[in-house]
Amino acid sequence: MFNIESWDWESKEKMLADTAKWKDKFEDVWEPYISQDGEKIASIVKIGEGEHNIAVNEGTWEEPFEKIWYSRFSPDGRLTALITKDMEWTMAVDGKTWEQMYEYIWDTKFSADGKIIAATTKVDSVYGITINEKTLECPVQLESIASHVISPDGKISAAIAQTVPLGQADLDGFLKGSWSVVVNGKPWKNNFVDVYGLTMSNDGKNIAVEYRDSICEYGILVNEKPWNEKFACTWEPVFHPKNSDEITAPVRQWGQWFLATNGRIVWDNGFYSLLYPTYSPDGNNIAAAVAPQFAKWTIAVNGQPWSVTFGECIQKPCFSPDGRKVAAIAKDKGNWLLVVDGAVLGEAFDNIWEPVFSPNDDKVICKVEKNGKYAIAVNGKIRRNDYEALWNPVVSPDGTKVMICGVEDGKYYRKVVPLSDI
Amino acid sequence: MKPTIVKREPVVDEAMDQCEARLTEEEIEKVINEVIDKETGGRLWTYINTCIHCGLCAEACHWYLSNDRDVSFAPVTKIKDTLWVMLEKKGKVDAAFIKRCSQISHTECNACRRCGMYCPFGIDIAYMILVVRRICAKLGMVPLYLQDTVHSHAATMNQMWVKPDEWIDTLQWQEEEAQGYVPSARLPLEKEGAEIMYSVIGPEPKFLAQLLGNITVIMKVAGLDWTMPATAGWDNSNMAMYSGDFEIMARVERLHHETAQRLKVKKIVMGECGHAFRGAEYDGPTWMGWMKPPIPIVHAIAFYYDLIKSGRIKIAKKIEGPITSQYPCNVIRNAGLGSKLRYIMSAVCEDFVDLIPNDRHAFCCNAGGGTINCGPPWKKIRVQSAKLQSENFKRTGAHTIVTPCHNCHSGVEDIVDGYKLGMHVKFFSELLIEAMEIPEHLKPKEE
Amino acid sequence: MYEFVSGPLVWIAFIVFIGGSLYRIYNMLSISKKEKVVFPHMSLKHSLASLVHWVIPFNNQYMRKRPIFTIVSFAFHICLLIAPIFLLAHVILWDESWNMSWWTIPEAVTDWMTIIVIIGCIFFLYRRLTDPVVKNVTDGSDYLLLAITALPFITGFIAYHQLFAYNTILILHILTGEIMLIAIPFTRLSHMLFFVFTRSYFGSEQGHVKNSKDW
Repeated sequence: MFNIESWDWESKEKMLADTAKWKDKFEDVWEPYISQDGEKIASIVKIGEGEHNIAVNEGTWEEPFEKIWYSRFSPDGRLTALITKDMEWTMAVDGKTWEQMYEYIWDTKFSADGKIIAATTKVDSVYGITINEKTLECPVQLESIASHVISPDGKISAAIAQTVPLGQADLDGFLKGSWSVVVNGKPWKNNFVDVYGLTMSNDGKNIAVEYRDSICEYGILVNEKPWNEKFACTWEPVFHPKNSDEITAPVRQWGQWFLATNGRIVWDNGFYSLLYPTYSPDGNNIAAAVAPQFAKWTIAVNGQPWSVTFGECIQKPCFSPDGRKVAAIAKDKGNWLLVVDGAVLGEAFDNIWEPVFSPNDDKVICKVEKNGKYAIAVNGKIRRNDYEALWNPVVSPDGTKVMICGVEDGKYYRKVVPLSDI
Repeated sequence: MKPTIVKREPVVDEAMDQCEARLTEEEIEKVINEVIDKETGGRLWTYINTCIHCGLCAEACHWYLSNDRDVSFAPVTKIKDTLWVMLEKKGKVDAAFIKRCSQISHTECNACRRCGMYCPFGIDIAYMILVVRRICAKLGMVPLYLQDTVHSHAATMNQMWVKPDEWIDTLQWQEEEAQGYVPSARLPLEKEGAEIMYSVIGPEPKFLAQLLGNITVIMKVAGLDWTMPATAGWDNSNMAMYSGDFEIMARVERLHHETAQRLKVKKIVMGECGHAFRGAEYDGPTWMGWMKPPIPIVHAIAFYYDLIKSGRIKIAKKIEGPITSQYPCNVIRNAGLGSKLRYIMSAVCEDFVDLIPNDRHAFCCNAGGGTINCGPPWKKIRVQSAKLQSENFKRTGAHTIVTPCHNCHSGVEDIVDGYKLGMHVKFFSELLIEAMEIPEHLKPKEE
Repeated sequence: MYEFVSGPLVWIAFIVFIGGSLYRIYNMLSISKKEKVVFPHMSLKHSLASLVHWVIPFNNQYMRKRPIFTIVSFAFHICLLIAPIFLLAHVILWDESWNMSWWTIPEAVTDWMTIIVIIGCIFFLYRRLTDPVVKNVTDGSDYLLLAITALPFITGFIAYHQLFAYNTILILHILTGEIMLIAIPFTRLSHMLFFVFTRSYFGSEQGHVKNSKDW
C-alpha cells in the first residue's frame, strides 16, 4: 500500500459521497471502485446513448466519452479508465486522455507508487506494452500479448507474447515455438511452444515462467535459462521474497504433484493436486493448497498437510506478518469457511474475501457476504453492520487501527476503527 | 483373432501422415505402456477382463447403424482394433497401427456414451476410447484440425485463437447491439461479486457474436446480476479433453474455474454447448481434484428452464409450426437435463415434435466428441455416418431443429445440408429472443 | 479316477474357485483404489438403482428392444446358477460328505433347466458363428469358455439320463464342473464376479456424478 503512513488514520468517519444521488442523476450507474486510501469512490455512469462519464465523490470528470470501462485507481489516488473518442481508444487519467490513440488498449497495471501506468496496446494490428504513454520499441512484431507485469518500481516490464506469426493450422510452426517473453520490449532469444505463469521477483531482477517444450513436457525458465529438470506439467512459479534466486513451483511427475525449488523436489509427499505455493514474509516457510486425496482439500505447510480437509476447494494460503500462522478460505458443502492453522473459525458464509491478519496474529479480519449483504468478520464472526458494498479492510501501519470502507444506505463511508474495538 | 475387415475411402490428413512417418516403435511402446501402467487402473483392467464379447453394444452405435451395420464401426470392434492389440502385444505396434487408432478414436467415435448405457455390464467403452486418444495425443497422432484447435487452447486459453483485445472488443460491440433492442441493456465486464459469471465457447465471439448480444438482452429482461470476464478464462470449451491432451485440458479448466472464483460469483452460467459442460463440470474438475466445480456451473438448458418456470422471462408469442430438438449427449444422457429441455421447448413452441428415440436414448448428432473438430478431411464420413439421425429428424416433419449445443449445431447443419432436409437449425436462445416478452419499460422509446 | 475327481480335486476346485475369486476381487479393488477417482465417485443408492434395472428382465429400454436375447440370456443365467446348487444329486453329495443339506428343486425341473442352459449355449454359439459383430470379436478363447460352460451341463444331462457309459460320463461331469469352477476367477467367466462392480460403477457415474440414469 503506497504511502500508507500518510493516510488519514485520525478521522473516525467520513461520508465522502452519496451514491444514491448518482442513481437519480444518471441513466445508469455501474459498480463502484475506491482508491487505495479510501478517500475516493468512482463509478462509470451512463449519461445518454453512447455517452458515459465517471462520477468521483461529489463530482464527475469534465468531459464525457463514448465508452468508458475498466476504471481503476492508481495507488497514488489518480483515477484511470479506458475510453473511446471517435471510435479510437486511449487511457484517461483523472479525466485527461493520453495523446496517443490506439486501436485497442487494455489490462492497466501500476507501479507500487502509482507513478507509472502501463497497459497493453494495439496500433495497426501490432501489439505493444505502453508505459506512461510511451510504447516500448520491440525489434520483432508482436502477434499477441497474453499477459504483462511490471516491477513494483515500474522500471521493468515483462510480457508473454507471440513473437512468431503462424499460418492457419501450422502445427510445425507451433511446435517449433512461437511464444516468448518480452522484457522492456526486448524478446528473449528463444521461442517456446507455450509460455505461462509469468512472475517477477520483487526486486524486478529475475523473471520466471513456465514453458512447454513439447506436447506433454513442461519446465520452468528463469531469465531465459531452463531448469535442468522437465515435468509432465507445472503450475506458475513463485519467488522467495528475500532471495530472488530461489524459485518454487508445483510440478507433476508420475501422476502426482510435488513442490520443486530450483528444479529439485523439496516436499517428500506427492499430492493429487497442489496449487498456489506461498512463501511466508521472511521466506522461511512455504504453504500451498493441496489435495492429499481426490476431492479432499487442505493446506500443507512445509509439506505437512493439515488434518482437516474440505470437500470442494481451498484458496491461496495467507501467512500472518510474522509467518507463524496460516489462513485460507475453504469451501465445503456449498459454504465458504475461514480456516486458520487447520481449524475452522466462526461461521459459514456465502463468500469470503482474502483474510488480513492483525499485527499480533490474534485476529483475522475479512470481508464476508451473507444473504446478499456484506460485512466485516473478525475470526469468522460478523462484527460490523451490513453494507451494500464493502471493500477489503486495511490495517494501519502501527497495527492499532483498521480502515473500513463501504456503502450504507447509498452513502459511501470511510471509517477508521481501533483494532481493539472490532 | 482375425483382423477386422475395414473398408474406408483413403483420407489425407497431413498431420497424421507426417506423424506416421516420424514415429518410432520404441517411442510407441514406451508411451503405450506408460499410459496403461501409470494413467489407468481398475476401470480399464476390469472392463477388459469383464467384456464377454457379446456385441450388444453395436446396436447402440449410430456409426454402426448408419453404415449398414458395418462391423468395423461397432464399439466393441473399436476396442478390439486398438486396446486389445496394444495389450496383447504389450505396446509393440507400429506407426500405421497408431494412425488407425487415432482414426478410430478421434474420427469415428463421438464418446457419446450410448454404448456404455447399453452394455449389460455397464462397461464404459467411451472411457476406453479416451484412453486410446490419450496414447495417440502423447505420440502426437491427432488429426490436423483437432490438434490445431488444441494448440489454440494451449496458446490463448480459447478454442479459436481469439486474442485478448478481440474478446473484449467483441463484447463491447455486442453490448451496443443489445442496446438496439433494450437500450438499458449492459454487458458488465469484470464485475466482482456479481451473481453469475456467464461463459461461452470460442466460436461465439469468433463467428456467432449475435449470441452474446442475445444473452445481454435476456439477462436484462430477466433482471439478473451478471458479468463476463475481460481476461482469458472466458472460454468454457475444451478440445484438449477430446484430443487426449489432459494437461492442457486441465490448464484451460483451471483458469475458467479460477476466473469465476476471482470474480466472486455464486455460479457460472454457460451458453449452449454440450462438450463444454462435460469439460467444465466433470473432466476438468476430476483432473484438478475437485468433485464438483468450486463455483457451480449451470448449463443454458437448466438456466432457461429456471427463468421460464419462475416467470422471470415470460413468453409473449410461441413460435409457430412443428419444431424439434436435438438432445446433446453431454447434457442429456450424461447430465440428465432431458426433461428440462422438453419443458423449455414446449414453453416457447406451439408444436414441439419430440424425436424418437428421445432423451438419454437419443442419438448423437455425430459432430460431438471432437469429431467435427477433426475438420474437412473427415467431414464426408462423419455426415455419412449420421444417416440414422437424419432419418429421425426427417420423421418429425419439423421446420426447425433446435440444438442447445454448439457441436450439435454445426453437426446438425451438416446433416440438414447433406441429406437435403430443408430445415433450419437454431439455438434455443434464438427462439427465446423471438418468443419472449420485453416489458414496456425496457423497450426503446419511440422517437 | 472317480475317487480322485470326486475327492481331492473337488477340494482343489472349490479352494481355487473361492480363493481365486477373492484374490481377483481384492486385486481389482486395490488397482481401482490406485485410480483415485473411482471410489469417491461411487454411491450405494445409484449402484443399487442400476443393479435393479439390469438384474430384472425387461427393466431397461435395451432389454425391451431385444426380447429374444433377453429371454434366452436371463433363462440361461438363472438356470446356470440355480440348477447346480439345488440339484438333488448335488445336495445329497453335500449331505453325505458334510452333513449339510438344503432345499432342492424337483429333478424334472432341474432336468429342464439343464436343457435350457444347453440351449442357451447353442444360442450363444450360433450368435458367435453368425452375427458379424460377435464373430469379428470371437477367437478360440470365446469358444473355449463356451465349451467350459456347456460341458458340465451336457455331461450332467447324459449322466442323469444314464444314456451311455455312465461311469465315464460321471467322471467327465465332475471334472468339467471342476474345470469350470477353476476357470471362473481366471478367465472372462469372471464377469460373474465383476458384474456387480462394473454395473455399480457405471450406475454411480451416470447417477451420482452425472445426474442421469443408465437404463
